[in-house]
Amino acid sequence: METLGFLMEGFAVALTPYNLMFALFGAFVGTLIGCLPGLGPANGVAILIPLAFTLGLPPETAMILLTAVYAGAMYGGRISSILLNIPGDEPAMMTCLDGYPMARKGRAADALAVSAIASFSGGLIGTIGLIMLAPVLARFALTFGPAEYFALFLLAFATLGGITGKNPMKTVIAAALGIMISTVGIDISTGTQRYTFGVLELYEGIDFILAIVGLFAISELLFFVEHRMGEGREKMQVGKLSLSLKELVTTIPTQLRGGILGFISGVLPGAGASLGSFISYTLEKQVVGKKGRFGEGDIRGVVAPEAGNNGASSGALVPMLTLGVPGSGTTAVLLAMLISLNITPGPLMFTQNADIVWGVIAALLIGNVLLLVLNIPLVGFFVRLLSVPPMYLLPIVTMVAFVGIYSISHSTFDLYFMIAFGIAGYFLRKLEIPLVPIILGLLLGPEMEKNLGHALVLSDGDWSILWGSPLAIGLWTVAGLGLVLPYLVGPLLRRRMNAAIKESPVSD
Amino acid sequence: MTGFGDRILGLGLLVLAVAYGWAAQQWPEPFGGAEGVGPETFPTILSVVLVAGSLYLMIKPDPDARWPVGKSALELLVSVLVLVVYALLLEPLGFVIATTLAVGTLSWRMGAAPKRAFLTGLGSAVVVFVLFNYGLSLSLPAGLLEVH
Repeated sequence: METLGFLMEGFAVALTPYNLMFALFGAFVGTLIGCLPGLGPANGVAILIPLAFTLGLPPETAMILLTAVYAGAMYGGRISSILLNIPGDEPAMMTCLDGYPMARKGRAADALAVSAIASFSGGLIGTIGLIMLAPVLARFALTFGPAEYFALFLLAFATLGGITGKNPMKTVIAAALGIMISTVGIDISTGTQRYTFGVLELYEGIDFILAIVGLFAISELLFFVEHRMGEGREKMQVGKLSLSLKELVTTIPTQLRGGILGFISGVLPGAGASLGSFISYTLEKQVVGKKGRFGEGDIRGVVAPEAGNNGASSGALVPMLTLGVPGSGTTAVLLAMLISLNITPGPLMFTQNADIVWGVIAALLIGNVLLLVLNIPLVGFFVRLLSVPPMYLLPIVTMVAFVGIYSISHSTFDLYFMIAFGIAGYFLRKLEIPLVPIILGLLLGPEMEKNLGHALVLSDGDWSILWGSPLAIGLWTVAGLGLVLPYLVGPLLRRRMNAAIKESPVSD
Repeated sequence: MTGFGDRILGLGLLVLAVAYGWAAQQWPEPFGGAEGVGPETFPTILSVVLVAGSLYLMIKPDPDARWPVGKSALELLVSVLVLVVYALLLEPLGFVIATTLAVGTLSWRMGAAPKRAFLTGLGSAVVVFVLFNYGLSLSLPAGLLEVH
């Protein structure tokens, strides 16, 4: 019941007109970001961080804004899946399988409406799960010492590539690069200058916001330039809504199953939203069996993955809020916002910054309602925006990224730095070095070093403290599994996911 | 030869890792004597990890990606150049002019008709400028258009 009290306080924070306005704005922008191909959720949230920063928003408002964007992006991803057969973001991939065939049959409006409802129930289930699980996990995390935290950070890196990741060694390299960048600047505990080369701008270290924006936004632009995808594609007509209440009611069990499965895979390290929607879809196919017509426009094939990925997006907030260890790219970017607001993420946040945590959670609930309300009548508007070809859109997005970075410091030095990160990001993506571990390394590097230092001070320089408790050993084991499993299970799972996509008759 | 990209990357990272690790050993001992963890401890671990990673890349490289050649490579170079010039001219020319040129050139190179491309650039520049300077009162450089 204590939780309920906190939640009420959270609602008091989230329901102030000022915060509500930003939640609405965030939900709207988020849907936009989600539905535009080429502008993923992590990218979109990253571009908004500098803006939230320069506007001088109070911490809870800034977090509410970005969480609303995050939730909105998960809603938006489905629109281009259904109408263009291109997922607006990665988790929306599975929605293509039945969404696009439905649209081809002239039921685009129904697919959009039912997927909005499924997103809502998935998001709702996920948020309820978050409310129940997060305080418990936060209380548990209070027992962590510095050695356990160090192991936990390693676990986060090891599982970040995900079970479906291709080459875990590249995740390790990316993480090491990120942490290395974070060591540039004056060492906090001793005052030694590290890797500054006497350049004044480097004394305070490299601002991770400009690294994130550069790595995501600029490299995305370069990818589009390379592939000449500027034209955009033909899209389906939306048509009239013919969804009956009865049909909607029959999808309720699917929504529940999808939401719960999604939430679980969101919480678990190494799973994430893409796997969440994949599992929901596959399970639904098995539960329904031969009676369903999956791949040909079965309505449940749209409901399951959408409920799944929205459940997973709320689930992914659990480790981020309670442990300060994000499990996905977008939650990593949200963590970047928290750190730049000078809030120490982790279990203490639940006691020290209760208003922010519960404000964000309440905002997620409100945001879901807002999104449902926004998405059903405004779907036509978002659809029209889909026809803006990337050749106009991406340059403008890049310009907004420039403006955001410039307005933080009013220094062109930062802009060159951002471009350099963008070029590096392009090459790394080409070489299949994942960018998210780099960002996580940038964010967690200082914390990792601090915890290592604390642990060794406590043990008087004895390194075995790092694996001295059962909990720490457990974390090391999971981290090890996170690196080894992709070799064993990864190829199998990836083959299945590809097979599922190829099976559908319209995978042109 | 396959895996050429990964091998070069591995070599580059190896050099980086060794230089990074070597630099860490050069720092003077902090005031108050050496403790369990000095400023060099953590970077040293990182450099060892990266050395291992880069060796792995060179020994077991993944198949090569398809790299842009000829025209695409040139287009990429142009885009990067536009971005650098944009950053360079942002303050002297002012936000509106620099943005019109940058966004216009980029959309034109991505396939838009030149006239529409630069009009998009001008439109977005004016909207963002007005929004930032008057709506959010964050000043963007006016440059040549500054009213004295």
